Amino acid sequence: MWLPILGLILGVSLGFLSDIQIPQEYGNYLSIAVLAALDTLLGGIRAHLQRVYDDQVFITGFFFNILLAAGLAFLGVHLGVDLYLAAIFAFGVRLFQNLAVIRRVLLTKWSEYRKVSTTNTSK
Amino acid sequence: MRRKWMFTFILLIVGFMVAVQYNTVQQPEERDTRDLWAIRNELAKERKLHSELLTEVRELDKTIGKYNASEGASAGKALADTVHDLHEQAGMIDQTGPGIVIDVVPSEESIAFGTPLHEVSPELLTRFVNEVNRFKGIDMEIDGKRVTGLSAVRDINGETTVNGLAVSLPPFQIKILSADLKSSEKLYNFLQSSSILDDFYLDDFVLEVGQPQSEVTINGRIEQFENHFLKELPKGG
Repeated sequence: MWLPILGLILGVSLGFLSDIQIPQEYGNYLSIAVLAALDTLLGGIRAHLQRVYDDQVFITGFFFNILLAAGLAFLGVHLGVDLYLAAIFAFGVRLFQNLAVIRRVLLTKWSEYRKVSTTNTSK
Repeated sequence: MRRKWMFTFILLIVGFMVAVQYNTVQQPEERDTRDLWAIRNELAKERKLHSELLTEVRELDKTIGKYNASEGASAGKALADTVHDLHEQAGMIDQTGPGIVIDVVPSEESIAFGTPLHEVSPELLTRFVNEVNRFKGIDMEIDGKRVTGLSAVRDINGETTVNGLAVSLPPFQIKILSADLKSSEKLYNFLQSSSILDDFYLDDFVLEVGQPQSEVTINGRIEQFENHFLKELPKGG
C-alpha cells in the first residue's frame, strides 16, 4: 500500500524539482496523456479488487492508451477536428465508471467485514 | 510483490506527468529581464520627463509671478494672455513658425498604370501622425485640419476624416510646425529616412517632404471643444 504512494510522491517531487516545462502547444497532448494514465491506473486498481488483474494487460494498456490518446489528439490537430475531446470524453466516462466500481467493491468488502466482526462479538 | 512494484512504477510516471503538466499550466511569473542598457534607457526617459515637468512648473511660476505683479490695473490683460496661451496650446488659433510642408501626391507608377485614385486610409494617416508625434512640441495640420491631442483620424461612412472633417483626395498638404528651424531640420531628416515613406508608397502615394521653411502657417481648430467636466465658478466665489 505504501510503496505505490511513495512512488507517486517521488514522481511528483521529481517533476517539480526538475522544473520541466513543455511548450504550450504540446500541453494538450500531455493533459490527455495524464488522463489516459489515470484511467489505466484506476482500471488497474479495479481489476485488482475484482481479482482479474493481469500484469501484461495493465502495462500494455497504460502505454498503449497514452500513445493512442496523444496520437488521436495529434490527428485531430492535423485534421482540424477536436478529436482530443473524444478521448477526454471516453477516458472521463471510464474514469468515473471505474471509480464507481471501486467504491462499490470497497463498500461490499466493508459491510462484509462489519458483518463478520458483529457475528464474532455476538458469539 | 511484482504487482506492487508495477503500481509503484506506474504511479511514479503518473506523478511525474502531473507535475510537469502543473508546471506547464502555471504561467511563468514575470521576471525583470532588463539588462543594464534597458534600465539606463528607462532612467533617461524618466529624467526627460522630470525635466519636462520642471519646465512646466517654471512656466506656471512665471504666470503666477505675472499675476502678482500686475495685480490691479492689468490683471485683465494677464488673464487674457493666459487664455491666449491656452488657446494656442489647444491649437485653436492660427500659428506661424518654422516648419515643413509635405505634399501627398499619387505615385507616378499609379498614374502610369492608371490605378484609380483613392483616399489615404485612416490607418496609414494614423501611422503617419504617430510617427511624427515622436517629436515633441510640434503642431500639425492635415489638409487644413488642425491635429491636436483630441483629434481623431478615422473612417466615417467610407471617408477618411480628421476631426470629423473629410480629408480630400490626394494631392493635399500636410504642414508641421516645430519650435525652431533646427527641430524642423531634424524632423525633415527623420522623415526622409523613415519607413513611413515606403508605407505610403505601398498605397500608391508619394510623400514629398519639402525643405524646412522659416515661415509656415497652419490653421487653428475650427470646432469648439466639448467640455463636460469643468464648471464655471460663480462670480466672486
